[in-house]
Amino acid sequence: MIPSNGEVLSDIKVLDLSHGVSGPFCTKFLAGLGAEVIKVEPTGTGDSSRQSKPFLGGPDDVESSALFAYLNTSKMSVTLDLDIPDQALSVKQLAQESDILVESYAPGHLQSLGLGYGALAETNAGLIYVSVTPFGQTGPYRDYKGADIVAQAIGALMYTIGLPDREPLKVGGESVLYTTGISAFSAAMLALHVRDTQGFGQHVDISAMEVMTVAQIHSSINEQFGHTSVRRPTNLVRAKDGWVSPGLESGVQLGTWPKVCELMGVPQFAEDTRFTTQEGRRTNQQDLLKVIGDWAATKPKEEIYHTLQALRTITGYVATVEDLLVAKQLVDRKFFRTLADPVFGDVVHPGAPFRMGEDGWRLLPPPRLGEHNDEILGGRLGYSSEKISEVSKGGEV
Amino acid sequence: MSTTQTRPALSGLRVLDLSQVAAGPYATMFLGFMGAEVIKLESRSRMDINRGRAKPGPTDPRVYPNGEHGERPYNRTAHHVHRNINKLSVTLDLAADRGKELFLDLVRVCDVLVENYRGSVMDRLGLGYGAVSQVNPQLIYLKISSQGATGPEANYGSLGSTLEQTAGLASVTGYGDGLPLMTNEVYPDPVVGILSFGALMAALRQRRQMGIGCLVDLSQREVTSMLLGESVLDFSVTGRVAGTIGNKHRDMAPHGVYPCTGDDMWVAVAVGSEDEWLALCRAIGQPGLASDYRFQDRDSRHGNQEALDEIISAWTRGWDHYQAMHLLQAHGVPAGAVLKGSETINDPHLEARGFWDVVDNPEAGTYKQTTLPWMLSKSPRQTTVPAAGLGEHSFQVFNGLLGLSAREIDTLVEQGITGDVPNPDI
Repeated sequence: MIPSNGEVLSDIKVLDLSHGVSGPFCTKFLAGLGAEVIKVEPTGTGDSSRQSKPFLGGPDDVESSALFAYLNTSKMSVTLDLDIPDQALSVKQLAQESDILVESYAPGHLQSLGLGYGALAETNAGLIYVSVTPFGQTGPYRDYKGADIVAQAIGALMYTIGLPDREPLKVGGESVLYTTGISAFSAAMLALHVRDTQGFGQHVDISAMEVMTVAQIHSSINEQFGHTSVRRPTNLVRAKDGWVSPGLESGVQLGTWPKVCELMGVPQFAEDTRFTTQEGRRTNQQDLLKVIGDWAATKPKEEIYHTLQALRTITGYVATVEDLLVAKQLVDRKFFRTLADPVFGDVVHPGAPFRMGEDGWRLLPPPRLGEHNDEILGGRLGYSSEKISEVSKGGEV
Repeated sequence: MSTTQTRPALSGLRVLDLSQVAAGPYATMFLGFMGAEVIKLESRSRMDINRGRAKPGPTDPRVYPNGEHGERPYNRTAHHVHRNINKLSVTLDLAADRGKELFLDLVRVCDVLVENYRGSVMDRLGLGYGAVSQVNPQLIYLKISSQGATGPEANYGSLGSTLEQTAGLASVTGYGDGLPLMTNEVYPDPVVGILSFGALMAALRQRRQMGIGCLVDLSQREVTSMLLGESVLDFSVTGRVAGTIGNKHRDMAPHGVYPCTGDDMWVAVAVGSEDEWLALCRAIGQPGLASDYRFQDRDSRHGNQEALDEIISAWTRGWDHYQAMHLLQAHGVPAGAVLKGSETINDPHLEARGFWDVVDNPEAGTYKQTTLPWMLSKSPRQTTVPAAGLGEHSFQVFNGLLGLSAREIDTLVEQGITGDVPNPDI
């Protein structure tokens, strides 16, 4: 029997000192593949994402952030204060038993606490130490602060997004920080491959700016070849209940256009030379969108999507999160999974980002702040129950 | 970059790459950077779309160096030159019986196969996972598809821009006026390319553990929808449907891009913490703002951000976008110049980190190449190998790897099964 992919990292221990979005998304993926992830959070407030919208309940509840809940599935949480020397020492002790450490502090900060790569690798040469920061560990901007929008700006992703007569527009949500986390995941898996096959650990340096410079897949090369990348008008047309892109501009065979005309009840356009070739349809895009728009306005977006895809076009429809949860394809593949939360009830999560077996992706509810203090601080570090309760309350030790 | 003497991270790994467009070629480009041997397989009748047409017309939308098609346009489009680095180029007609045989011979000696055709293309050729795993059970077959290998839409076509729609990303991207927008950078493609690399590392580890390969089924739509996961959770509990909010942020304010000197020049600013807010007030020379009741805490700044945006814009208009970034950052404010692609290639920070490779592509000239979204201290990347001409390595691979004689290869060329020029009919 081929085992499920939940077991691929079952021998791997991860110490997660990261906070916010990128680092935690990386360790969510490692946990999904079966690694044990111990998340270290500041006592009292916890990871900063616990204070981030959207909230499933009240904003003052550290267990209420949907962002935190999404990012931290299948992990354990312990509370330790790195600024208190004996607790920093406990973190060092946990690092000695770890295979992978993920952190997202400003460059040099953990080093100043005796928790830098050099210090930890002295006694744990196999350690893979992943640093996830806005600009990386070296270079003139290393101490600069970042954010999702800052990375999109400086990596030249953003300049070409949005409409020509408006300001550059960011990709929505936290998607760039997520992508940075995905880079950290892939790099951690690469470093693990090297350790498995060559026997040593190393320091992995992830810069959100570089992730974005890699992700802008046109601009840097096009501009060197003399072609300026600009913001462009949209090719979406309004459907009865939302938006669709007809998808007739590339990857479409010659015989498709007449069939589309027939479907739309406008056979007079089948031979119209403005539209008979892909290049023509690109050049005359606004005219084309008007023709299609008249037809599309009366039809539901998903009907248009399925009908035109059946003619082998590359049609899209703009799904909202509400649409996603009932989209036939995603439902059929059981992509979304429901986790029970004692307070909020059923919470729907996206499932596995890729599949290597039957049902391998591990998805367990996110930990409550300090939920695993007894197990880890007591069980592994030998803290007394008194000391655990002090640490949990954030009192001086 | 490193003085450590180690093997390249992926030395000994051989990859058969049937992928095209962006997501797959990005993944295999990364594999090549880390030392894998990547054999890019194309057909003379169906080249990678990145190569454009054999004989492009005057209005062809693809980008060529200085707009010149040159003698072999298919070897010098921007997309091909940029994404198909670090790969050997082999042509093979998979529709021909002999082509299929040779394909399976290649499968026997490869560790990984990557493809991102429409769902059923490989099955229809009789070369799907079932067939290839029979000749090489150790093979890892990475199937990157729009919708996943199963399900009612498995055969639907997509582009990066349609994935942004069907995965929900477009529904949260826009100026906040109800019109959803896509990126012009087909954002899901590089994201999936980066993730595919990690998925392959996981599959390789599973192979080391179990001694057997597997099919990796990766749906671009599913991966892209993970970029708005928190909104999925939120909807399922509260019924709120996330929409577009322009360059605003759910929590932070001020947050957006602000005009600088020059045409279409901007600086991005994101203020989260109280410290960052106070730093911003100092940076723009208005410490008094800190005691303005309209901006006294995060919520009131969020509620009054239009007023705040005007104040910040009045300051940023006096500065170049780089100057504004440096001044703001010097005070501790998260800020970034909105760079154009042509500016990133001269950015001093990327330069200092050795991010770019200067590449001399024999068919397209010298340019700066983007490299990797990570740096490893002991496993440096390999220097970029320029994107290969169509079929440049067919002889090397058929002869050196499969042991075909020069004469046998000549016959393949005569039959049109391989060769280094596109089929004249395309």
